[in-house]
Amino acid sequence: MNEPPTTRPAVQGTVRPDDVRSVFDAVSKGEAFETCVHPEVAEEDAVLEVSDFDLWYGEKRALYQIGMRVPVGKVTALIGPSGCGKSTLLRCVNRMNDLIDSVRIEGDMRLSGDGIYGPKVDVIELRKRIGMVFQKPNPFPMSIFENVIYSLRIDGERNRTVLDEVCERSLRGAGLWDEVKDRLQDSALALSGGQQQRLCIARAIAAEPEVLLLDEPCSALDPIATGRIEDLIEELKGAYSILMVTHNMQQASRASDYTAFMYLGRMIEFGPTESIFLRPELQETEDYVTGRFG
Amino acid sequence: MTTDEGTGREAPATARQAAFTGKPRRRGTTFQVRAAEIAARSLITAGGLGTILAVTLIFVFLLMVVAPLFTSATLETRGTNSVESSVITAIGVDRYEALKWIASADGRVLSMTADRVEVIDELSTARDGVGVPTAQTFSPTLDHAVLGYEDGGVVLVDISFEEDYLDGATEGLGDLAEGETRVVDGWAVQRTPVGQLRATRLAWEATEPDFPFEGSAVHLVDSTDVAGSPIYATLTADGQLALTKIRVRTSMFGGETRTPSSIELPYEQPDGAGLPLALFLNGRGSDVMLLWADGTYHRYRENDEGEGALVETRDLVADPNARISAWTQMLGKESLVLADDTGGVTTWFLVRDADDPSKLVTVTSGSMPKLTGRHVTALTPSPSSRLLVGGTNDGKVEVYHATTHRLMGESDLGLDAAVTAVELSAEETSIRAAAGSSLVTLTLDPKYPEASVGTLFGKVWYEGYPEPEHVWQSTGGTDEFEPKLGMVPLVYGTLKATTYSMIFGAPLAILAAIFTSEFLSRRLRSRVKTVMELMASLPSVVLGFLGGLVIAPFVQDQLAGVIGVLFALPLAFLFGAHLWQLIPRRLTLPWNNGWQRFAMIVLAIPIAVAIGAIAGPVFEGLFFGGSAQSWLAAESGEGAAGGWALVTLPLCILAVLLFITRVVDPLLRDRLVTTEHKHLARIQLAKFIVGGLAALGLAFVVGFGLSAVGADPRGGVIDTYVQRNALVVGFVMGFAIIPIIYTLAEDALSSVPEHLRHASLGAGATPWQTAMRVIVPTAMSGLFSAVMIGLGRAVGETMIVLMATGNTPIMEMNIFNGFRTLSANIAVELPEAVKESTHYRVLFLAALTLFAMTFVLNTAAEIVRQRFRKRAYQL
Ligand SMILES: Nc1ncnc2c1ncn2[C@@H]1O[C@H](COP(=O)(O)OP(=O)(O)OP(=O)(O)O)[C@@H](O)[C@H]1O
Ligand SMILES: [Mg+2]
Repeated sequence: MNEPPTTRPAVQGTVRPDDVRSVFDAVSKGEAFETCVHPEVAEEDAVLEVSDFDLWYGEKRALYQIGMRVPVGKVTALIGPSGCGKSTLLRCVNRMNDLIDSVRIEGDMRLSGDGIYGPKVDVIELRKRIGMVFQKPNPFPMSIFENVIYSLRIDGERNRTVLDEVCERSLRGAGLWDEVKDRLQDSALALSGGQQQRLCIARAIAAEPEVLLLDEPCSALDPIATGRIEDLIEELKGAYSILMVTHNMQQASRASDYTAFMYLGRMIEFGPTESIFLRPELQETEDYVTGRFG
Repeated sequence: MTTDEGTGREAPATARQAAFTGKPRRRGTTFQVRAAEIAARSLITAGGLGTILAVTLIFVFLLMVVAPLFTSATLETRGTNSVESSVITAIGVDRYEALKWIASADGRVLSMTADRVEVIDELSTARDGVGVPTAQTFSPTLDHAVLGYEDGGVVLVDISFEEDYLDGATEGLGDLAEGETRVVDGWAVQRTPVGQLRATRLAWEATEPDFPFEGSAVHLVDSTDVAGSPIYATLTADGQLALTKIRVRTSMFGGETRTPSSIELPYEQPDGAGLPLALFLNGRGSDVMLLWADGTYHRYRENDEGEGALVETRDLVADPNARISAWTQMLGKESLVLADDTGGVTTWFLVRDADDPSKLVTVTSGSMPKLTGRHVTALTPSPSSRLLVGGTNDGKVEVYHATTHRLMGESDLGLDAAVTAVELSAEETSIRAAAGSSLVTLTLDPKYPEASVGTLFGKVWYEGYPEPEHVWQSTGGTDEFEPKLGMVPLVYGTLKATTYSMIFGAPLAILAAIFTSEFLSRRLRSRVKTVMELMASLPSVVLGFLGGLVIAPFVQDQLAGVIGVLFALPLAFLFGAHLWQLIPRRLTLPWNNGWQRFAMIVLAIPIAVAIGAIAGPVFEGLFFGGSAQSWLAAESGEGAAGGWALVTLPLCILAVLLFITRVVDPLLRDRLVTTEHKHLARIQLAKFIVGGLAALGLAFVVGFGLSAVGADPRGGVIDTYVQRNALVVGFVMGFAIIPIIYTLAEDALSSVPEHLRHASLGAGATPWQTAMRVIVPTAMSGLFSAVMIGLGRAVGETMIVLMATGNTPIMEMNIFNGFRTLSANIAVELPEAVKESTHYRVLFLAALTLFAMTFVLNTAAEIVRQRFRKRAYQL
């Protein structure tokens, strides 16, 4: 969103500003409304800018006029009830939605200023700039070492010292080095779920991406593993810009700098995590983060 | 709760509970559900067990037909009669075993009932005023004899059995039972199984004597018959040797005129030796062989000028102290069998000399198991097969198989005399042996003498072959033909067909599967898959005749073009891919999806075909003097270099590829990190062109090098061109196995979890990289099992190989020649095989072998697939 943010959403049409659930009403009636964006967001440099982004799965519309900025070097959390389009939005960033036949999009998305959906964009090159970690750990059925250096392999890197170095750095970055350094040649499938997920993060950061997309990275993990991943996110912050989907409010509040709340394909409110959790502008957001609805 | 089931009544109060509907939930399983469960379970169990049972039964049935092949012969004494006669020299019997004749040293020939010694008739071989023959030889089939006399006369005798059917009311025969023989007016009468009365008597028709050497007593004589014209060789006591051919002309009035013409052979007698012991004439009447008691062997041959000369001299008995004790020729008169008094029995025949193919040499293919302390004194060949019967000096009868040198059976006659003559009936069911004045009849059941593990699966040295070989040739044109039942050429043919069709079909099918599963959209994928599966519904007989009648002649006609296209197709695709990179991204990106890519591939094919079709003949003109086929058939000398280049081209491409990836790429990479895309594409294209030319150049350097050294590429994978060949079968059967491999491979690739694909694509890998680095390795065992199932299909495929190959059971990898597979062989020969014959059972063995091969392949595929499933679950 490029226009200056307002403290209250400029609610249009029949929706009255003093109605506590006015935004949800507008959404459920299919009426237009404007995202409530906190002013702090505009002060940050954005690595990823999304504006007026729409997406359809065939006839079914999944995203409505999404606008958001992912700040550089910060962790941005995407929260919202199940099915609201968080994963869809995330997948749009590295164009994984291209793999689905029925998808049609409109609107603009920019990575460090380069259009993601422009006609001249080479998807392969784009994806190399973006790291993605999926909800379910998905290591390749190869050795741990090969998993980590996968992105270098596909770039044709053969220099053993470079590979070793990147492997160690990435595994250290993902906090997995000490656990696996003695068995780098073992199959990655022998690792535990939490280790596998950290391996996937190591694999993603080995490519030194501009943005790291994490789609519910802890949903398949136990609390201890979750804690590790959260610590890891904390450590990665600064070096990487992270966009993370989560259902865990505590995780969002602990690990992120900014939080975006989505509902039924709309971006409802977006601001610093602290404000969203403690002083949300909208009643709906407050209801959601406090668990009164959702 | 049991009582409530099925009735739908409420469950007891204890189970009652609040529910959404307000009614308590019924927890009992209804009767219908249980019944369905039981029915389904038993049906599935029955079906599964039934299948296993059916397969097992088929296996057991095949085994039951095959097993008798490996049973051993039986031989037992039936009865002994004593005959008043001097030493018996030959015995013959008619095919119904109604009567037999015995020839004795005193010139008498007695015909008598087969099972008794009731004499029916007696004739003499003595000539008026000349006396008994001084030499006599009976043919292996015992239907001819040649007799030589004191005065130099030679008489040819036709021995046959005259048959007649008597009136059922003939007096005194009303009570004749089946199996009984009665003598009536010089005829032996038997009752046939259908109740007729069949009378048999000996017909001994001797010709008027010829006199090759008038006045010189005949010492040895042998005869043969070539297309109705008798030929005989005589050696006289005073050392004259001649080969006599008789032209028989039948005049218009039915009379025969016989014109003998003799050529004299320059008889040489070894120093110190007397006259030879035996004289043999080979079946074609071209060679006369003399044998002395110590094993010295002389062979005379008539040359093209009609002159005879001594062409071979050697010693056939290695032991200097051994003396020849019995000799005969096998059916067809091409093999000699010699027994010596140390117990050895050895077979010899003529083969082409390995050093000088214009000459023949006498070689031994081996010996029968040596007898110790006793030896063979009489030998007779089977009149219909390769069985050989020997009688020993201690009164035993030995039954051998001459080709394989096996002892099939042995029986003691219980007499204290040496056997002087033995006879084997035409049906090989009985043996008669004469020892002293006794005549013993034995019952023989040779079972399946041609088949043994050794002959079926090992190399066998057949008569006339220069060395032991694997041969399949089950039927032949003449009565003397020996069936050759080596399974190895058929297994080899099966493997050859499989290999060539897999080389053609498997990569195509797998690449097509990768293409559809990784590059096409879901919608397009299911359509392509349907089309590919439609291919499978093409009946193989249609493919077969297309292969045999359309493709085979076309390929023969356009061989150079076809080979050209084979090379041009993949090259054109690679070249196209490189060119594509040269076009600015801006223009190509909107084209970079399923449909368009598919369209471009389809477009590339005709271009590649055109290039190949033009380049092939040009290549042929340059390097094969215009006709590769005449070079292959060794009709023209030009082509060794081109042939080598073609054969080594794939290897050269591999070598260049290896060089580029190992040496050139690392060098280039460091310099090209920053280079932009367009530039990179140009470098890649240049690399491809240079690499391609380098590979071609290397192939030609290797080709010219090898041909300069004199190496000939013919004889390996390329050799004489035959119209219906492995290349054609490769195409057609490849086409037949593509659908099944494709379907299974596609399933294996598609079942690789989507999240792996996403992980790879999300990391910025191209679909091809994703396919090669993640999907294919993950689906490897599935792909492997797809290929194995395809292999199983190719192994068992019948119609295509039957119709598109020449079905020649040869053993060479030559892609331009045919082969005969197990399955085609069964299809061709089983309808003609006599039930329960050796041939019939061996064909069942072929089926069993085929069954075993496909069973092993499919089981291996299944095991691998199970493991693959287990692994897929872990992901
Ligand atoms: N491949 C698809 N085809 C069609 N519709 C889809 C597809 N993927 C998602 N959708 C729909 O788009 C909407 C958004 O889905 P999405 O997966 O983005 O939700 P989400 O916010 O990630 O939910 P969750 O928190 O449960 O993961 C849902 O209504 C879903 O049914
Ligand atoms: Mg989701």
